[in-house]
Amino acid sequence: MAQRRELMKGSTASLLLCLIGQQPMYGYQIIKELETRSQGYFKFKEGTLYPALHRLERAGLIIGKWQTLPSGRQRKYYHITDKGRSTLVAKRSQWQEFLAAMNLIIQPVTA
Amino acid sequence: MITALSYYLDSVRGSLRLDPSSEGEIISELETHIEDELQELREAGLSEDEAAEICVKLLGSAKLVARQIYEAHSQGTWRQALLASMPHLLFGLLFALNWWQGIGWLLIMLILVLSMAVYGWWHGRPTWLFPWLGYSLLPVVVAGLFLLYLPKGWSWLAILVYIPLALWLVYSITVQTIKRDWLYSSLMLLPVPTIIGWFLAVEPIGKFPEYWLERIHHFAPWIGLSFLALAVAVATFIRLRQRWLKASVLVMSGLLTLTMVAYYADGRLSLPAFLVLILVMLNLYLSPALMERKLRRVDKRGS
Repeated sequence: MAQRRELMKGSTASLLLCLIGQQPMYGYQIIKELETRSQGYFKFKEGTLYPALHRLERAGLIIGKWQTLPSGRQRKYYHITDKGRSTLVAKRSQWQEFLAAMNLIIQPVTA
Repeated sequence: MITALSYYLDSVRGSLRLDPSSEGEIISELETHIEDELQELREAGLSEDEAAEICVKLLGSAKLVARQIYEAHSQGTWRQALLASMPHLLFGLLFALNWWQGIGWLLIMLILVLSMAVYGWWHGRPTWLFPWLGYSLLPVVVAGLFLLYLPKGWSWLAILVYIPLALWLVYSITVQTIKRDWLYSSLMLLPVPTIIGWFLAVEPIGKFPEYWLERIHHFAPWIGLSFLALAVAVATFIRLRQRWLKASVLVMSGLLTLTMVAYYADGRLSLPAFLVLILVMLNLYLSPALMERKLRRVDKRGS
């Protein structure tokens, strides 16, 4: 579990940018979406999601916008910015290169 | 909202130390998150108290969450760093370029400092305000010192009326600042030990003002240099994220500038005076942390 957390630490920004890049999302939705899509592999300590989102927002990669729901409640939806989109493209290609290199070494050699 | 969750949100708010509007937004965001979570847990058949307990557990330590959010917000831009270090920079230049003898420059500086302090105080008290605020209190203190040189009889009036009023003003602004964040109070008081150090090195006892002016003139380049060092420290403070690093920068800059005073004052600052100044500096920079704790306890009891 600790190893998984360590691996996730370096990938948090990429995961968040990827999800928010597909559609604007709010915090709770992001946690549920990550858990569902990764079939339970990615489980955020919920409180730590918000510092990560705020770091991305301060870096200008995403922008938070408050929306009023029909019930009158307000929710902060995060939208990706142009800078965030180009960062995501760069991170995606870095990740694919890393994955390809890892696979070349870690996969068992087939005859 | 359930008591445990209200307590959790209060605890986050108490440790955030950001400007009130950012704090409000962050708490609203966490509140919405908690409401969503509670609803889902209740729908899964859990009681209100069970749901609240799980919710707090899933969110994790309030202090850790607050610290991480603070660190996401606490780094100022280079523009803010420049703006915050500007009063030290201008004060340093005033001496380094020998402008301190020109009444025009002093007036410009006074008007600029007061305008920036008043503007910042009424516009959300941003981080860059606090160094300006510190310098805006300087004329109040200097005027008090000058009043002591009035003819006999009048100086008693200064002691009985002006000094208590001035102390009350400085104290109430310091308390207001500590309520926002004790580190800002230390940032505001940053030049005080250096000013006291140079004041002692100049020794304004006796032939005032001729002897005093001559000494200031002699020390002016080093006075300038010590304030330029404070400007660099403030810019670094604004750019750092972690609180302990910010506090360390302030203490280190205090030690550095007092050492500069002792070194360049041609032995006019004795070792005991130097050590007392270091204690004064540590007290000025770090006692606001204790005062903040005390003020919070009083506020809690009041509410």
